[in-house]
Amino acid sequence: MSCSPFDLRDYLFGELAEPDRRQLEAHVHSCAHCNEDLERLRLTHSTLLALRDEEVPQRIGFVSDKVFEPSPVRRAWQSLWGSSPKLGFASAAMLSAALVIFAFLRPAAPTPTTDPAKIEQQVSERVTAAVAKAVNESEARQASKAAALLAAAEQRFEQEREGDRANMENLAQSIVVLQKQVNVSKSLLARASLEEPR
Amino acid sequence: MIFRAVEDADLIRKARQGEVEAYNLLISRWEKRVYNYLLRIVGEREDALDLSQDVFLKAYQNLRKLDDPARFAPWLFRIAHNEAFSAFRKRRPEGETLGEGEFPGLDVPASGSAAFPIELSIAVTTALGRLNPEQREAVILKIYQGFKFEEMAEILECPVSTVKSRLYTALEVLKAQLAPLNSRGVT
Repeated sequence: MSCSPFDLRDYLFGELAEPDRRQLEAHVHSCAHCNEDLERLRLTHSTLLALRDEEVPQRIGFVSDKVFEPSPVRRAWQSLWGSSPKLGFASAAMLSAALVIFAFLRPAAPTPTTDPAKIEQQVSERVTAAVAKAVNESEARQASKAAALLAAAEQRFEQEREGDRANMENLAQSIVVLQKQVNVSKSLLARASLEEPR
Repeated sequence: MIFRAVEDADLIRKARQGEVEAYNLLISRWEKRVYNYLLRIVGEREDALDLSQDVFLKAYQNLRKLDDPARFAPWLFRIAHNEAFSAFRKRRPEGETLGEGEFPGLDVPASGSAAFPIELSIAVTTALGRLNPEQREAVILKIYQGFKFEEMAEILECPVSTVKSRLYTALEVLKAQLAPLNSRGVT
């Protein structure tokens, strides 16, 4: 078991960061056991490298054929997309052209007046118009509210009058009934006085 | 006059614009690495050459999909990995995978040199044959192709931890297999 602060195999394959590498080298320098482990790894590594690369028996290559080559327009288009500076320049050119066209075609903005008297007059006119408009709106609101209240009062008054009329009719009917009862009583009294034995 | 080394990114840009010669130059820079990677995966020179041609053709057809030209190497080896394993699948019945000890690279006659005797090459090829395909590919990508863990993860489409695990397990096996050779001082 290695007592190295880092994996000796990571060191062998050059996968350690510079400070870690230095720390491991210092450790291996002073630790015989880790030094021996590392030597064994190095020996295995160099033995494996005995298997040499072979030369390619036949060169690999492609022949240029016009049939497979892109058209000049396509090549220019691909060249534009393949190059950031060209693409940037084209974008900048398009933006500039758009700005110039917009500057020529846009409608002229109304030039603002700078005369203080005119500005004051304009402000005064606007304020007067705004006040008149607000007053009219307020009056209209009040008138509509008053009309609504009046209509409601008339409706209520009409309902009360209808109620009174009904009461009066009931009263009249009661009087008629009472009158009839009085008449009946009177006739009964008269008959009784006639029949009273003398 | 200022001389500037032509970068892969320049060649990729030109190839994207349809310049076949730029792409041929790019191929000449990478063909040896791709061919040897495939040779160690499939084990047959002829197959490795055919697959290499397929890889470069596919790469040319898909060059526009490469977002970052600086990532060309892992992107190219990702294509090579897919081509190699798709060739395996075509060759073998469905569901059957390449097992341990079935390394096709055993068929490749090992080439010796004064610095590296043929005995050593055969021993290394045999030791690689003891690994399973994933471990072997991890060794090939790291030791023979020199990719970083992050790039290997991109090529193999798996986490860095998986890549490390495969490689370090393989390294233990290889260490044990090659130990007798090392103790005899063949290297």
